[in-house]
Amino acid sequence: MARNYRNETIRKKQRFEEKTNWEALNDPIKDRASHKLRALFAVGIVFLISIFYLNHIYKIQITNHELYTMKAEDNRIRIRPIEPIRGNILDRNGNILAESYDTFNIIAKKENILSKDEFIANASKVFKFNKNQQDQLNIQFKNKTLKEITLKTDTTIEEFTKLSVDQYLLPEMELIINSNRRYIFPEATSHLLGYTGKLSQTDFDSVVDVKDGMTHVGKIGIERFYQNLLSGSPGYEKLETNANNEIIRVLEKKPALRGQDIYLTIDSKLQNYSYELLKGKEGSIIVMNPHNGDILSFISHPGYNNNLFAEGISSKDYKRLLNDKSKPLFNRVLSGQYPPGSTIKPFFGIIALEEGVIDKSKVFACTGAYKLKNYKRPFKCWKKDGHMDVNLSSAVASSCDVFFYRLAETSGIDLMHDKLKKFGFGEKTFIDLYGEKKGLLPSREWKNQSKQTPWYPGETLNVGIGQGYFSATTLQLANATSLLATGGESVTPHLFLKSIGNNIEQTYNYNENKNTVDIDTDSLHIVNESMWRVIYDTDVGTASHLEKIEGIEFAGKTGTAQVYNLDKGKTGTKSLQDHALFISFAPFESPEIIIAVIIDNGGSGSAVAAPIARDIINFYFKNIKTKLAKQ
Amino acid sequence: MRYSDNQFTGLSALFKIDVKLFVIVILIVIIGLTTLFSVSGGDYNLIIKQLIRIAIGMIAMIFLAQIHPDNFRLFSPLLYIFGIILLILTIFFGVGKSADRWLDFYILRFQPSELMKLFVPLMIASFYSDKALPPSLKNLFVASIIIITPAILIAKQPDLGTALLITSSGIIAIFLSGIKLSHIFLGIGLVIGAIPLLWSFMYDYQKSRILSFFSPSQDALGTGYHLAQSKISLGSGGLFGKGYMNGTQSQLDFLPENHTDFIFSAFGEEFGFVGVFILMTLYILVTLRGMSISIKATDNFSRILSGTLILTIFLYVLVNIGMVVGILPIVGAPLPFMSYGGTSMLTVFAALGIIMSVKSHQRLLRK
Repeated sequence: MARNYRNETIRKKQRFEEKTNWEALNDPIKDRASHKLRALFAVGIVFLISIFYLNHIYKIQITNHELYTMKAEDNRIRIRPIEPIRGNILDRNGNILAESYDTFNIIAKKENILSKDEFIANASKVFKFNKNQQDQLNIQFKNKTLKEITLKTDTTIEEFTKLSVDQYLLPEMELIINSNRRYIFPEATSHLLGYTGKLSQTDFDSVVDVKDGMTHVGKIGIERFYQNLLSGSPGYEKLETNANNEIIRVLEKKPALRGQDIYLTIDSKLQNYSYELLKGKEGSIIVMNPHNGDILSFISHPGYNNNLFAEGISSKDYKRLLNDKSKPLFNRVLSGQYPPGSTIKPFFGIIALEEGVIDKSKVFACTGAYKLKNYKRPFKCWKKDGHMDVNLSSAVASSCDVFFYRLAETSGIDLMHDKLKKFGFGEKTFIDLYGEKKGLLPSREWKNQSKQTPWYPGETLNVGIGQGYFSATTLQLANATSLLATGGESVTPHLFLKSIGNNIEQTYNYNENKNTVDIDTDSLHIVNESMWRVIYDTDVGTASHLEKIEGIEFAGKTGTAQVYNLDKGKTGTKSLQDHALFISFAPFESPEIIIAVIIDNGGSGSAVAAPIARDIINFYFKNIKTKLAKQ
Repeated sequence: MRYSDNQFTGLSALFKIDVKLFVIVILIVIIGLTTLFSVSGGDYNLIIKQLIRIAIGMIAMIFLAQIHPDNFRLFSPLLYIFGIILLILTIFFGVGKSADRWLDFYILRFQPSELMKLFVPLMIASFYSDKALPPSLKNLFVASIIIITPAILIAKQPDLGTALLITSSGIIAIFLSGIKLSHIFLGIGLVIGAIPLLWSFMYDYQKSRILSFFSPSQDALGTGYHLAQSKISLGSGGLFGKGYMNGTQSQLDFLPENHTDFIFSAFGEEFGFVGVFILMTLYILVTLRGMSISIKATDNFSRILSGTLILTIFLYVLVNIGMVVGILPIVGAPLPFMSYGGTSMLTVFAALGIIMSVKSHQRLLRK
């Protein structure tokens, strides 16, 4: 068929060519030459374009080789930081106070999730989520600060392996190890240790040494102050990933360096015992070794459960803590500023003796009130009937206010301000925690600057009994008391004992900070004895009702700081009660510990604060076997 | 009229194929298979599938090489009209993912546009074969209609890339037929004038592709992403490449479409500029051999046809490489003889077959 058709067509063509004089019109030689020219022209263009192309490719492959090599590496290589294990916090005897432990969580990175709805649907299949849990996932999606969706917390590797059977449904899911923080005595150590939390923007501008891969940092307390020691150094894994972000292999690995373990000066037994003593009260306690500044107990009551913060506190729990009237988040030791009340009397007494304002036998008559020129209302003594004739020793022991009014009037505010400074009032103790307040040791200059009014004589009297503008922190009282106990060895109160990490033990030599405060020995002796009388002189001692401790004599001073009612109305509610204070050192002859107790609105120092200090001394000498080397 | 079969020996005599052309193409095919094996991560199934397609292509090539060019000339109008009908059918009954390019005959499923890549050069060559050359303006106009009709039908699918390629192959055919210089300028003027008109007929995604070509940073994960990854692959290959099976870009799937449209980048990553140079040389050699056949052909039809087909194959090479190195917009064109896929493999081997038919059936020149 085709052959016939072809032959016929060829015949037709021949007839056509004959008819149209085809041969003349179409000169094959000419056509051939013309075509060759065009073909060669085309070949020339082929070469030109090829050279242009090769030049372009040369630029990419040779000239910019390094740039593209870098980009190719960026494509395939991911650096995954390895978070180091945070060091533990231990007490002086090696009991763990805060520890790190690992939990396994199943998460999915948001960047890997393509479809939210599909993800939730598949996750619900794999984990058998109910409606409520699905809503939770939705909330996690909406929270823009979260980079990943947590599917299951606190799981095990075994469980993950079981769930991995369904990984094809949920390719995004992965098991991650989270290092968590656990506080063994959450409430009792909350204000001391603080807590860790997720790294936030504010941490970058702080003292914290933020390293790559760090997710949690100490936010407050010891966790914050020693963050850089505790945190260790993160390691990393250099991973090769494909375009779907799947890990092909580990190219390089540098393990993380565990953080240092920090031993505190705290004695956990004493800490817990002291904390329990404040049950139902609001207040603070410091127990310290006066010779080296080791703080044995650091109590601010009520505490809070710092584990809640370490796990990531819910807003509900946080609100509850914020709105709690007992202010559990308030660190009373560091930030509570109280009028020292009568606890100032021993220090003022020493100054008066040293400066020759009085001598030890000088007697004033106390009639229950003191009249100051130009003041209508007399300055009252706490004892309405008065203490009759008192010298300094019995004035301290009986806490006679009138005696100290006169002493203040005679000394004047300038002398009091200048000399009380040496006991550390009005200045930070520089304890190793952030947030310390420095109280206020008032002066003429201060009043001029802050109130733009002159100093009134009556205000001097108030300062004389630790009232008025005078305020001090528990730490300052403890610090001042330790000067009495040691006769002028000035130490820095501190919590850091040593750190151990990678088999290297580091201590801090606090002796370098040690100063000597000049205290006249005779004056000190008189005042210390008067503080002994507070406990043991049954006639005048304001705390002589305390049950004595067998074999241990101790000295102390009560204080009851009046709380001024700001709205000048007596409502009689508890919040307007006086602050109860007590400072103490024991044993009397060669002191090993000093104690400062302040109970907010607790009432009288002798009735409320003194028994607590007494119990601590008793517990310390009966139950704490630790021998503190007296240097 | 005698056929000079006696000048062929061996394989050429048996299959009427051009050994030189065939050997060069086989070299390219081997490079393609090697690269394919690497980017598929050593997938033998893929290689076997590709081998089957190559075999089908070769059978088509050998079959077409047996047919006398006169038959192509005579049947060209029929084939052309057949192709146009299929294109029209595609508009109504076409299937496909994003564009309706396929005709589904249950047993057979193919792209009529692919056929037109051969039929349009055939039709132009056939049209000019009995006209005086260089063609008159009237004949130029007719040729334009021959080209534009299928181009518009294909652009409507929408497959702008193929439409442009077919138009280009038609223009090559007109050029080889001996267009006058003045007519060339007229043509260029018309094309420039048509650009705004063409733009207004384009779909948004087509526009965005072209726009992204001019500013790739604007869509990093769209077509710009493809180009960026392609350049990274090539650039990180350097002079000698990363070594066989060591191309991170293609092995780790950063290079998209790495066994179809972007196989050139995958090859360039592993074999470097040296490899690219050699590959380009092979394609140039294919073209030179084809052009040599065209020059030696004994009638206008054969000359125009073989020249057009070989230049069109080279054009496809240029379009693909130009696209993956950032010279041209990403239109989705495979690399002849290398890309994974059946249709394009069949088309280019068929074109080779027709060229070989010209070679093996050339008449001895009358002195």
